[in-house]
Amino acid sequence: MSTTQTPPEAPAGPSVQRLARQRSLWERTNKATLVMAGVTLAVFVFFALADSAFLTFANLSNLATQVGPVLIVGVAMTFVITAGQIDLSVGSIVAFVAAISAQLLVSGWDSSLVMVAALLMGLGWGLVNGWFTAYQGIPAFIVTLATLSVVRGLALFQTEGFSVPIASTTFVAKLGTARWLGFSATAWIALAVVVLGLVLLHATRFGQYVIGIGAAAESVRRAGVNVKLVTMAALGFSGLAAGLAGLLIAARLGSGSANSAQGFELTVIAAVVLGGTSLLGGRGTIVGTLIGALLTQIIANGLTLLSVSPYLTPIITGAVLVLVVWVNLRGRDLAWFVQRLTRRP
Amino acid sequence: MAPTGSTTTAPGDLLVELSGITKSYGPVKSLRGVDLTLRRGEVLGLVGDNGAGKSTLMKVLAGAVQHDDGEIRVHGRPVRFSTPSEAQAEKIGIVYQDLALCDTLDVASNLFLGREPKRGPFIDRKAMHEQAARILADLHVKVTSTHQEIGTLSGGQRQTVAIARAVSFAPDVLILDEPTAALAVAEVESVLRLIGEVAAQGVGVILITHRLQDLFRVCDRITVMYEGQSVDDAAIADLDIEKLVGLITRTPQPTRTEGSRA
Repeated sequence: MSTTQTPPEAPAGPSVQRLARQRSLWERTNKATLVMAGVTLAVFVFFALADSAFLTFANLSNLATQVGPVLIVGVAMTFVITAGQIDLSVGSIVAFVAAISAQLLVSGWDSSLVMVAALLMGLGWGLVNGWFTAYQGIPAFIVTLATLSVVRGLALFQTEGFSVPIASTTFVAKLGTARWLGFSATAWIALAVVVLGLVLLHATRFGQYVIGIGAAAESVRRAGVNVKLVTMAALGFSGLAAGLAGLLIAARLGSGSANSAQGFELTVIAAVVLGGTSLLGGRGTIVGTLIGALLTQIIANGLTLLSVSPYLTPIITGAVLVLVVWVNLRGRDLAWFVQRLTRRP
Repeated sequence: MAPTGSTTTAPGDLLVELSGITKSYGPVKSLRGVDLTLRRGEVLGLVGDNGAGKSTLMKVLAGAVQHDDGEIRVHGRPVRFSTPSEAQAEKIGIVYQDLALCDTLDVASNLFLGREPKRGPFIDRKAMHEQAARILADLHVKVTSTHQEIGTLSGGQRQTVAIARAVSFAPDVLILDEPTAALAVAEVESVLRLIGEVAAQGVGVILITHRLQDLFRVCDRITVMYEGQSVDDAAIADLDIEKLVGLITRTPQPTRTEGSRA
């Protein structure tokens, strides 16, 4: 503590500069995210040592592509969960947009139109979720559980369950194979979404209100904020992100299937929660979601390389999820304990 | 009708005049003719037993509830609020008992919630924290940093931050609903000191409280409500705690003094 030269008789009011001073990096760091970063690094090192194919550029680039869709939707899901909501329908929206976009391409739509349509379809479903949740007061859990069923159902009904191939001459198909500096378009777009998410959550009023709504919606409402609109926007964002992910997945696979992205919503939610975003709302971290998404996909990727039975992958992933969230909770206590020990009187 | 109400003062001094305010919820007559006046720089204690209508009356004045009949004058002009923001536009601020803070946001973010300073499309955090620090320093609010999360503060600190938020809107009238309920003794002191500071800046403060001893610390005048009516209006100097209890319970002389000391 620096001693400022205040006269001894002055009232004990703290100085403006001292009050407004930025806290140290350690104090600002989300401890749960920090623990998770450590775990992710450990898992990364483990696979690097266990299999020589893991730490190759080709595999890391592949990993980035695999992480892409989870990350894109995870960033948006971070807003939804931080606002105290949930979106279970993202997997279905991914499948819907993938299948319908492929159908539109087959029916002769131009790629540019299809790309816009894909985003609008995703946004549309997201706004449906958002409207019922925010303006009709139905819990997001119920609304998105319903759309999870309806949206995939519509896609199945429309495609009769068949995978719809995308001609390799279309721009969408080329987008799926495009690379820049060795990384796929999906990876680069995911990176851009992460940056967008960081800025939105931490530097704008929208992000501020999302956090506030998750903590105490009534307080934010009384501050004159349109809480319903912000809530709907958050769910609209996750729909939009799912639309983007659906387009990218169809582009990469060269086909759109109503059966794709099964269980995708759980992977995304796991990634978000692993990263340290509170399921109770009010606390969100985009960096954490990045780490959480990486962790889930490193496990999947590494286990595939080790030729572990594919049926073991979900078991191990689920076990790690529980373990890591447990460590995560203890980690918070641990950080608090260390802080207590090291705090100067 | 208040037997001792309608004291004549210079109109410039008078911030708020309520006369004959009524409010019914269905068959329940919550307010049945309330008179109240508030002057600049004055701390008015609004007291009464549970259900006397104190909170309803203040919600009327803050625009959260619309009254049925009666007149509200602010700065001598008749007004009628249909929303809280209309009351806010007339410079009437209120701190509800639940404080309306967000636990996971920091002190500065809470002070500026809904009106964050912006630079382009972004929140200007530096400016926000500096302005917040200035507000807190001016009011001698004891928090260690504007970056502190609200959830980590004590009850008294939270209360003072909520009051500081209300004060930062530069209100002429500030309504505080039970600001010292459930606070530790030392924290009550800091909240009462803050109320004094706010009044010293020329704000008219209306203090609702069950802690009668607080009234004698900070109030200039007391308005007593009983079953939806204002029944007494007296300078604090003319009262002691026994007389006040008598006024609140409508019993002629001190009877329940012991119980009221809690």
